[in-house]
Amino acid sequence: MGRENRSAEEALNLLRSRLCNPNFIFKPLSDSPDSNYSKLKFLVSSSITEACNNSLLLLGPRGSGKIAVLELVLSDLLLEYPDTLSVIKLNGLLHSDDNCAFKEIARQLCMENQLLFSKMASFDDNSQFMIAMLRECGLAHKTIIFVLDEFDLFAQGKQRLLYSLLDAMQSVTSQAVVIGVSCRLDADQLLEKRVRSRFSHRKLLFLPPSMEDLQRLMEHVLSLPVESSLPHDYTVEFNGKLKNILADERFKEIINTYLNSDSTVNCLLRFLFRAVSYMDLESGFLSLENFKTALSNIQRQPKQECIKDCSILELYILVSMKRLEVKEQNSYNFNSMMKEYKTIHDSFKTSDYYAKNVCLRAFEHLLKRELICFTDNRGYNQSIEFRAVKLLVSSVELHQGLKSYRSCPSILLKLMEH
Amino acid sequence: MAKEKEETPQVSRRSTRYSLSNSNTNNGIETEKLNESCKTTLDNLLFGQEPISLDDLLSCFPGRRVQILEVLRHLGPINSSMPPMFIYGSASTGKTSVVLQIFRHLNRPFVYVSCLTCYSPRILFESILNQLLLHKKNAANGYSSAKKCEKPSDFINLIREALINVIDRLNGNSGKMSTSKSKGVQVNGRMIYLIFDSFELVREWDKSSTILPFLFGLADNLKMPKVGMIFISNTSPNMYHSSTGYIDPVPVYFPEYTEEELRQIFMINQVNRKLYSSFLDIVLRPFCRVTRRVDELSTAISMLFKKYCEPLSDVGVVPNEEMKRKLFSHLQPHIAPSLNEIFRVASQSSLESEANQETRRKGSGRKSVSCGDFDEIDFHMSTSAKYLLISAFLASRNPATLDASFFDSTGGSDGRKRKRKSSEKTTGKKEAAEQELLMKGPGTFALERLLAIFQCITSVGEDLLDEEDEVDDGLRVGGGSNGLMSDVLLQLSSLCNGNFIVKGASCPLEGSTRYRSTVSEELALKVPKVMDDKEAIGKVIKIDTFVAIVEDLKLGLYSIYNQHMLEQVGGLFLVIL
Repeated sequence: MGRENRSAEEALNLLRSRLCNPNFIFKPLSDSPDSNYSKLKFLVSSSITEACNNSLLLLGPRGSGKIAVLELVLSDLLLEYPDTLSVIKLNGLLHSDDNCAFKEIARQLCMENQLLFSKMASFDDNSQFMIAMLRECGLAHKTIIFVLDEFDLFAQGKQRLLYSLLDAMQSVTSQAVVIGVSCRLDADQLLEKRVRSRFSHRKLLFLPPSMEDLQRLMEHVLSLPVESSLPHDYTVEFNGKLKNILADERFKEIINTYLNSDSTVNCLLRFLFRAVSYMDLESGFLSLENFKTALSNIQRQPKQECIKDCSILELYILVSMKRLEVKEQNSYNFNSMMKEYKTIHDSFKTSDYYAKNVCLRAFEHLLKRELICFTDNRGYNQSIEFRAVKLLVSSVELHQGLKSYRSCPSILLKLMEH
Repeated sequence: MAKEKEETPQVSRRSTRYSLSNSNTNNGIETEKLNESCKTTLDNLLFGQEPISLDDLLSCFPGRRVQILEVLRHLGPINSSMPPMFIYGSASTGKTSVVLQIFRHLNRPFVYVSCLTCYSPRILFESILNQLLLHKKNAANGYSSAKKCEKPSDFINLIREALINVIDRLNGNSGKMSTSKSKGVQVNGRMIYLIFDSFELVREWDKSSTILPFLFGLADNLKMPKVGMIFISNTSPNMYHSSTGYIDPVPVYFPEYTEEELRQIFMINQVNRKLYSSFLDIVLRPFCRVTRRVDELSTAISMLFKKYCEPLSDVGVVPNEEMKRKLFSHLQPHIAPSLNEIFRVASQSSLESEANQETRRKGSGRKSVSCGDFDEIDFHMSTSAKYLLISAFLASRNPATLDASFFDSTGGSDGRKRKRKSSEKTTGKKEAAEQELLMKGPGTFALERLLAIFQCITSVGEDLLDEEDEVDDGLRVGGGSNGLMSDVLLQLSSLCNGNFIVKGASCPLEGSTRYRSTVSEELALKVPKVMDDKEAIGKVIKIDTFVAIVEDLKLGLYSIYNQHMLEQVGGLFLVIL
């Protein structure tokens, strides 16, 4: 029993580390000759061997594996051409400021070439250093690959970095590849004219994989390797059960409902991770139940949850505001809401009528929950009662939330239906 | 000795509300234990208290069983990597406590930063680095951070370096530790976790548009499988907007406690469980309709429990049915008023006054209890400040055009009559004005107007004093004398600091600063009440003026003044007559 448990834990650990390792995931997807992996590898390796400059963009939605595929290609190329390749990585979130970007380039170049990096170097120094390094590397037939993640963010501002990079690549002496990675499909439209004219306009599009590919991927990720430290019969049984699950119609339905909203690989991985983490360590096998719970836990409805969290008084406030909106009162605040609340109380004689300061506190809670918010930023020095507010839930959502609320006063439901 | 000093803040740093309330009793013992076990400095990354078992953990948090198990599942067995996790739920649902206690249970190393205390990127980054580099701010290093780091680009390099260092040490550590297992607390596993608390606040930061995706994508950026990220937030993941989006972390939801769970929470650590449970039977349901937040409920309920126990001579007694009924009828009159009171912490003065009120209350019977102690302001204010507050209130709530009729004794009555006629004709107009008043709130006024009203009020006070032939005991505020004007300005600025009056934007035409009173009607009415008898409201505001205000109230211009308040004002008015 103890041994069973241990191998189950080992299997769980293996699956979890696989799911967190993009290199493992994207390996099997890049076999075919017309995959992005092959195209990218061909482009980069040809510009290394032919000692020319190149530039291209990798575009695709978030989580479609642009960086992962690029990493795979780069690690392969580093093995193939160990001495003639150096990679500089920048990220738009970190280095969108030109000054910062040049500094980072200089730092990474110094690291690559065992030079001393000076923190005090100015913008000019750094940019001249970069151009000099490009020339030197070109003469030594070394290729520098610039990877610009979040490429669209580099296109903000004056685009000096992009210009000087692409401009340096116009000369015959340099030997560099600029690879931009972005989730904005119109990333190249953001470029200035002087930059765009120097850009090659090669684009690789990363599309979500087909259902068959995903099916293959899931099998590849979730099945245990036969030759490993795990006991053989356990592995066989595990894989057999997994096959059954994957073939199950109900399972396909679960996956379909999940991927309806977002069908990128990364999204699927998060779901699989959740399901795997529910694996029962006692039995040591995945079950369909795991996937079901994962689906219900990962597909959340935050607004509904928020309404369920509210107290009765907060619901009254929400409904009062809803009524004000129905009345087409274009702007309202706490005081007008209180008036509405009072008329509800007066006409229906509810048991939940509280003093103004208690309501104000509940109102503040709603603001914190972000079910309501101030309509504008004006009037910061006004007290909360007087600032105009609006609802952040639609009436349908509110109605649904009230219906599923455990002990919702019937009067509120009645008010919502009118 | 030095170690002891190091360790004690450690405990307090990692303790949340929950652990503070729980660990008070055995704190001494635990710190001692800590000092013994504090051999390697890596221990600083642990929770810093004796690990607890899973059963203890689950029993500590009633109603959080599902969530605890879910978080544990996500963290997984020892040394297994995980994608970022996003824990969310409304305030006071035990998010932070649960996560920290889970780490106490697991005894794995972690770095905890709260975006509430680390209120800017620089402080956040430096705090993370300090913890990772095991750097403590003290007098010797001038309370400076280990590394200066402002930009995310520097931070990513520094944190990568620090993390590699820590993980290396953890690797070496666990090998070494397995041979000598006798130590009490030891670091478990080779993963390090970064916990970001109050993450919703990052949205308000200056550069949130880049910082937010950066922090969400930190795990992707670092590409270190041995680093786990946990975000704790008040708001759900869909409230984080970003222009190009980011990879969603895996959500874990903490719902608000249900009534039954709240009951279990309040039953923890109760001495007389039977008595307390019969108390909760009465109190919990009505309060849950208002709020289900543990922190607010506990303050409100603890005050009521004292009331509940009042008739009892022995608190340890087990109540029978009859006694329960008796206690219930004793408590019942207190429930409704306390429901209508926001849950406040009793200030010093009100605590004092409670003692002498006690005797009075017992004599006067039940009725006075409900409104007795809410009619007073529980802070001290100088007389001129009170006058100033009232004049600011009047200036804010009345249109400037009515000033003349209010404060000028000759022209007053004519203006009022005219006004009444017009308002009777056009009720629609009145409603619009009402609506506008509701929406706009208190208006702004120039300093000159405030001072003029102030002068009017105080001079009336003086006149009245003269008329009634009372001894002018060196009236605090000189009505006409310019010498005291600076004093009044001083008072004004202190009222501004106290947020009773807000300095608004300056008027574009005049260029002078405009003020606005933020005082509510209730408070404004309390102010004259607490002045001593000689300065009752009739002397403060000229009777004429007061009539004018009351008339206007009847006209409905101020219908936000509810009926209750009208009675109050009327009552006061009668007192004066």
